[in-house]
Amino acid sequence: MKKRVVITGLGVVSAVGNSLPEFWSSLIGGKDGTKEITVFDPSSYRTKIAAEVSGLDAEAHFSKKEIRRLSRCDQFGLIAFREAWRSARLDQNSHDKERVGVVLGAGSGGILSVEKYFRDYYQGSKKSSPSLLISYSLATTTDHIAVESGLKGPRTTTATVCSSSSASIGVAYEMIQMGLADVMVTGGSDSLCEVSYSGFNSLKLVDPENCKPFDKRRQGLVIGEGAGILIIEELEHALRRSAPIHAEFLGYGICADAYHLTAPEPNGEGVERVIRIALSHGGVSPEEVDTINAHGTATPFNDIAETRGIKRVFGERAKAIPISGIKSMVGHCLGSAGGIEAVATVMTLEAGIIPPTIHYEVPDPLCDLDYTPNQSIKKNVRVALSNSFAFGGNNVCLVFKKFSSEQ
Amino acid sequence: MEVDNKTFEDTPNSEPRTPNSPETHRIVITGLGVVSSIGVGKETFWENCLRGVSGIKPIQGFDVSSYRSRLGAQLPEIDFKAFIKPTNLRRMDRIGKVVVSSVRLAMDDSGLDLKEENSGRVGISIGTGLGSSDTVDQFFRSLLKDGPLGAAPMLFQTAVPNAITSHCAIEYGIKGVNITFSHKESSTEMAMTFAYHLLKEGRADVIFAGGGDELSEPLYHVYSMLGALSPGRGKGAEGMKPFDQSRNGIVLGEGSGIIILETLEHAKKRGANIYAEMAGAGLSGSTDGLLRYDFKGDSIARSMTLAAAEVQTVDYISAAANSTPDLDEGEALAIKKVFGKRGKEISVSSLKSMLGEFDGSGGIRACGLALSLYHGIIPPTIGTEHPDPRCDLNVVIGQAKKKEIRSAILNSASNGGSNISLWFKRYRSS
Repeated sequence: MKKRVVITGLGVVSAVGNSLPEFWSSLIGGKDGTKEITVFDPSSYRTKIAAEVSGLDAEAHFSKKEIRRLSRCDQFGLIAFREAWRSARLDQNSHDKERVGVVLGAGSGGILSVEKYFRDYYQGSKKSSPSLLISYSLATTTDHIAVESGLKGPRTTTATVCSSSSASIGVAYEMIQMGLADVMVTGGSDSLCEVSYSGFNSLKLVDPENCKPFDKRRQGLVIGEGAGILIIEELEHALRRSAPIHAEFLGYGICADAYHLTAPEPNGEGVERVIRIALSHGGVSPEEVDTINAHGTATPFNDIAETRGIKRVFGERAKAIPISGIKSMVGHCLGSAGGIEAVATVMTLEAGIIPPTIHYEVPDPLCDLDYTPNQSIKKNVRVALSNSFAFGGNNVCLVFKKFSSEQ
Repeated sequence: MEVDNKTFEDTPNSEPRTPNSPETHRIVITGLGVVSSIGVGKETFWENCLRGVSGIKPIQGFDVSSYRSRLGAQLPEIDFKAFIKPTNLRRMDRIGKVVVSSVRLAMDDSGLDLKEENSGRVGISIGTGLGSSDTVDQFFRSLLKDGPLGAAPMLFQTAVPNAITSHCAIEYGIKGVNITFSHKESSTEMAMTFAYHLLKEGRADVIFAGGGDELSEPLYHVYSMLGALSPGRGKGAEGMKPFDQSRNGIVLGEGSGIIILETLEHAKKRGANIYAEMAGAGLSGSTDGLLRYDFKGDSIARSMTLAAAEVQTVDYISAAANSTPDLDEGEALAIKKVFGKRGKEISVSSLKSMLGEFDGSGGIRACGLALSLYHGIIPPTIGTEHPDPRCDLNVVIGQAKKKEIRSAILNSASNGGSNISLWFKRYRSS
């Protein structure tokens, strides 16, 4: 029998808020986190904006020595983790640390630190400390979290970039199913860096103005950063320690388009398949789905393929399912996008409020669904999906359900 | 809206086939693909492995004169056209070509014809520590030199860590599970664990599992600056010498290894040759520090115990030992913890002594372990001359050893503390 898995803790760092309450009120208020980049000099780029995290006082969270050793990505991850850990009351309840593991998704990880080192190195300077190179591995943030809290359960890092932290939630769930853990820390963290910024720019996938998912005027994504961390837990374990339960995680799908290195399969066939696999694994029928947190990157191709895929699964009813494109507010956070969007999806179920897709003004005939334009809506939702698709057609779909003690 | 019914029929059934008892599938290894410094293809690799041939040589292709270290286990020149369609070769970087070639070799070895398969039930699960580190470096250098306008989109799309997995999926039309793990030295073991679990639950028929890494100049630089490379700051000789008193760090290697994992029913149905059975995976974490191995061995002991349901049948351990003071001792402690007295009797060997150490080495080492079970022979650990009394195990040194192996463990341990053990059994039909 599959074990039931619930979400008992949430933590966020994002361009629209550095804590869960702030993040959620920004999302339902339709706040845009896009601003001019400050973490590096964007003056020579075609675009100069990103959904950058601001107002985060690192010294309030870490010692000076720690700050020198932690990349921006590590800091986001640790701050969001600590919030999730506290909110799950794992700091108060006793638990077996050998049964608590960490699976995070990574994008560019601590490359911002590595870039700093190699910029100096290639320019013949030795002023950058080799300790910056600790961040060379994508596993670094995952290891920091486990080492800080002494978590001795299973540990790994997924690296499918734009779908990484959705995949990580699936993998964390399997650690519980395999009987290797009772509690898993999952989601992801990622920070802005020049490699990914210039990369998406070179592919002409970045909108110079703002992110307008599903709008006819969309020109691409706005890169974001932050962390979205979830504590997932085997239901009996959560009940035994009277943990707060935000929602249930029913299952997921993961598959590939096997189509192109960067472009999605245009007819939405891969999107359809991943949603069907997820529904089947989660044991829910298409009729039960009340809302979808879209991948919605606002690239011309993604939004059409995703819309087509959703229609292929839900048929006529697709138009009656409110869809959220929160990348319009938090940007595309790459390695943490799936984690941040999973947090939003869980909050949607718990609060009964669907966050909007902002900057939505001109409908695209090829994107003809209900994207919850500009205003959040109240709706009692029972089952919600969260989509994430990555380069190479790496698709992931997560299925969450409002928690009820009866199956 | 028009509904395309044909697609619905083609949609893979991911429902567990036996929903009330999902954990009923036996998983077997039916294909091996090796691209290593001691041989491309399983035959050459295995022959050299048993002869104790070392892949370690002075580094070629970039200048190491400013480093303390000189050595690496690099791949030979490979004619990738033998494995990959020429039109597709153009969009792959070197590590992409290496991994895709290992998938091709595994497929050919197993006689798997993907045209005969439901592509949605064939998956790929890849581990890599640093993926396209050379491409990332090239991209970054072009950015430094020419600014954002000099950044090449072709480089960027192959620079992402999952590009190697996408290349395989695109090349062969693999539409099922697709995932990439990157967690230092346990990356490929995680990829195999995930594949094993999904197959066990009946969520796929066949999954290509494993992966690899390349030895690039930036990676060499990083390892050197972090003090990981032999001979370190010591005065000893440079080299891989697992469990030796004078071990002093790693020699970097490269390569890729893929095992084809499939459900026993599926393997039987297509009459596949079965090398071994995969029967368990154990994962656990140690928390001694960001760059520290499990030097006390508690966590590695736990991962072995979780992996092997019948430890009394374990006759061989393919060790994680990588010639570092911490890991080799930690692993020895762990083996003695798990097996007690028998810990000093079980045959242990570290293939890293020939292949060098790299994050994605587990795929190749898994191929080696499957061959050990199949042929009943254990490859030697080379380079070890004065065994460390603190690592008082039955290490197979210098010469391969014939031995019937009932079951065996493949260990991995990452600096930072992700420890994964896989349990393979000799295949028996009942």
